[in-house]
Amino acid sequence: MQPLFIALGHSALGHYMQTSVWGFAVVEAIHLLALAVLGGSVLVVDLRLLGVIFRKESTRTLDRDLSRLLLGSLVILILTGIAMVSEEALKCYFSPAFRWKMTLLAVAVLFYFTIHRHALLRADINGLTAWSRIAAAISMGLWLGVGVAGRAIGFL
Amino acid sequence: MAAIVFEPFLQHVCQLFYDSQIGTTIRESDNAFPIIESVHVLSITLVAGTIAVLDLRMLGAILRSTPVRRVAGSVLPLTWSGFVVSFVSGFLLFWSEAAKNYGNPAFRIKLVLLILAGLNSLIFHTGIYRSAREWELAAAAPWRARVAAIVSLTLWSGIIVAGRAIAYF
Repeated sequence: MQPLFIALGHSALGHYMQTSVWGFAVVEAIHLLALAVLGGSVLVVDLRLLGVIFRKESTRTLDRDLSRLLLGSLVILILTGIAMVSEEALKCYFSPAFRWKMTLLAVAVLFYFTIHRHALLRADINGLTAWSRIAAAISMGLWLGVGVAGRAIGFL
Repeated sequence: MAAIVFEPFLQHVCQLFYDSQIGTTIRESDNAFPIIESVHVLSITLVAGTIAVLDLRMLGAILRSTPVRRVAGSVLPLTWSGFVVSFVSGFLLFWSEAAKNYGNPAFRIKLVLLILAGLNSLIFHTGIYRSAREWELAAAAPWRARVAAIVSLTLWSGIIVAGRAIAYF
């Protein structure tokens, strides 16, 4: 993986991010805005799966509309994230917080589009079960972990 | 004239916060500031992210078949919970940096945007939202509600960006 990070750091994108005065600040601001949208949609979907909010709404409808928001913001987060990594690629590569974040992100995305999605669609037919609640709790925990580890990159 | 009296007063108050026991403790602790700041960032995410769901509903972008008041009933308690956490954590951060924050342009802009967001919400709730029963089933809300939604999305985006920028000054 290390050569990939070195290449990213030496790429045109990396060069731009390292030398531009406002580049990093602007990209980071967009990253934060997309994070807000992702955080909001995760919370709404998972609280629905826990039976806290939108009890009368079908989970299928919520899934369709909010997954679109989640997916859109995820794409923006990943693109701006790559640009931010290119600014200090090797530092990220060796950062424990960054490695945690990437691991949690991979697990969170995988979980969201498999087990979590299955629980959402099943909830429409079977109602809320212990399984759907556990899936919601795991999902919130994973995404929270991604956010906390992400913030920690700047501190560690 | 008011500014001449007021500004040294505010600066003095900020200095008092900065020099206080609590402010100094947070500032000098290794972990307090990063931990409080993480809580602040994540709770602001919840405020802006959940209010965005209501705003996007009124603009007709998502949940078009769900009545607006039902969306508001589900989403606003989350927004308010997030706001309480972000206000308390934000105040603690300010406490430890008050003297520096006072002159910080990003901090000042953030406070102005927060006040404007509060005003926007007040105008919305005391105005067009009172007749929501009549229009809540429409895919997109009336223009006054759509304007409030766009203003809300803009202001909260501005609050996040200005908040991040505090650290750059």
